[in-house]
Amino acid sequence: MARFHSLQVTEIRQDTRDAVVVTLTPQEQDRGIFDFTQGQYLTFRRSFDGEELRRSYSICSGRHEGTLRVGIKRVEGGCFSTWANEELRVGDTMEAMPPMGAFFTPIEPEAAKNYLAFAGGSGVTPILSIIKTTLASEPRSHFTLVYANRQIGSIMFREELDDLKNIYLGRLAILHVLESESQDIDLFAGRVDAEKCTALFKHWIDIEAADMAFICGPEPMMLAVAAALRGHGMRDEQIKFELFASSQPGRARRKAESVAAAERGIACEATVTLDGATRVFSMPKQGQSLLEAALENRMDAPYACKAGVCSTCRAKVLEGEAEMEVNHALEDYEVRQGYVLTCQSYPLSDRIVVSYDQ
Amino acid sequence: MSETMSIEEYLRQGGVLTSPDNAPPRYRGEVLRLMASFVDSELAGAAGFADIINDAPGIKERIATARIVLEKTDHAGRVLDVMGTFGADVERYAVHHAWNARLARDADIGAARQGGDMRLSVFHYPLQGWVDAVVLNVLMGMATVIQLRELTHVSYQPLAEIFREILPREAHHTALGVEALERIVGDEGSRRAALESVGYWRPRVAASFGLAGSARYEMLKRLGLRHRPNEALLSEWQTTLDGQLAALNLN
Repeated sequence: MARFHSLQVTEIRQDTRDAVVVTLTPQEQDRGIFDFTQGQYLTFRRSFDGEELRRSYSICSGRHEGTLRVGIKRVEGGCFSTWANEELRVGDTMEAMPPMGAFFTPIEPEAAKNYLAFAGGSGVTPILSIIKTTLASEPRSHFTLVYANRQIGSIMFREELDDLKNIYLGRLAILHVLESESQDIDLFAGRVDAEKCTALFKHWIDIEAADMAFICGPEPMMLAVAAALRGHGMRDEQIKFELFASSQPGRARRKAESVAAAERGIACEATVTLDGATRVFSMPKQGQSLLEAALENRMDAPYACKAGVCSTCRAKVLEGEAEMEVNHALEDYEVRQGYVLTCQSYPLSDRIVVSYDQ
Repeated sequence: MSETMSIEEYLRQGGVLTSPDNAPPRYRGEVLRLMASFVDSELAGAAGFADIINDAPGIKERIATARIVLEKTDHAGRVLDVMGTFGADVERYAVHHAWNARLARDADIGAARQGGDMRLSVFHYPLQGWVDAVVLNVLMGMATVIQLRELTHVSYQPLAEIFREILPREAHHTALGVEALERIVGDEGSRRAALESVGYWRPRVAASFGLAGSARYEMLKRLGLRHRPNEALLSEWQTTLDGQLAALNLN
């Protein structure tokens, strides 16, 4: 299981009115763990009013830069992103899991490739990391970025992208498409949709010469761009997606209610048999599954997906009653026989007898 | 065009998901089930072939069988790693079941899953020696190529990429099987044994394509986890298999 590690905030830069770029420094022993690949993201956790929230933000630095930076755009009503934009200070620590994600292709220093990227809003964050790493490490490759934003003021990394164009003269082209500001050329106004892509492919982008395309932005843009790329002959394996993570309100975990349950006196006495050995323990009726209760009582209960899917945690209810929240694995006849997925089962009766051995 | 849409609508229109965080609960469940089925089938298949290494009639065949065992186990490992990103306990999962366990040769289980694992029902039947194993490898191998090609289009990108890497190697396993079968049918006695095995395995492999008119198919299609119905895949297999068996004088 991936673990969380502490990172120190060593710099915060206001990038746009509602986005910050946060530089993070791992502890000495964790440096290797945070040796990321371009395009990956970090998952952070923080407790807000006693409830743990987890949010993922893409890394915007290039591999060669030797720093770990993430871009965090404030989302309307977003607890974590608002906190990061308003309250986070240099010297604070953040907790993050090691870098994850597969939004990249391997760097080949000898390659001379033409890359395309389509970014919508803060979807540019992982793409910036990919662009910087690729231009630095594949000296013969070229990049074209189509970058959609509402207005000039909301363009993240605008200066940094301009600087990159100057550093890698002739190897990086950037086409800004602005939704609500008039442009000299109509093509660069409005949304990046199927029509816009077709027009871009006609005059500005040589789609036939493209080796690889990266897309990161809101869902409708991803669909439109992917369809246009396929329509112009690109194969699935040439298109890399990263679903615009910040548009996804993360789901809060189910709250543990064991304390409240105990106070209300609605606990259950569970008798669980595993590998021939039986244990009796008390567990709450809500907030903790039969599997979690067994594990907590140091029973080596089998499980795998904990999603009600793989049926590894199957057990038979011999006495009492349990409610299964999700069942994607057991057939009706098994359920009728009393089998439950313990990772999804919560006792309803005051006493329950369960066996993993049958 | 609005700026955002629900994940369900995005998937219905062919959208691609890229991390467990994106996956709604139902999607998560189905993609895990799909992966568990693949992993368990590969592990059970590899476990069955492991015993067959000692039945192989020559060094070339021993190597081919050992390679199949190695690579199918590796394929299971790659997909299991994706399950791990959803929270599955990968280490425990890999050993939680007796992958070499088999039912009786004459058990009749149709397409039903058995016991605590998600392997395709065909992998519950025991192999009977070299010729029988080669026949299953060819029949199921051809089915696997068709089923895997379908899975290279799944809407979960990290998984689709793995299936695209795996597909040519699985196709090679089938080719190794066809080579071995070509040698087997050179001898009339072995040819007749092979013919008998074809009769035994054909309906059991056919069952691995699932039921026609499956209600689950529509749901999986909406999630972008399936694109062609069971009967279309089955029919493709029947046609390809008929051609292959005719070429081997096994029709």
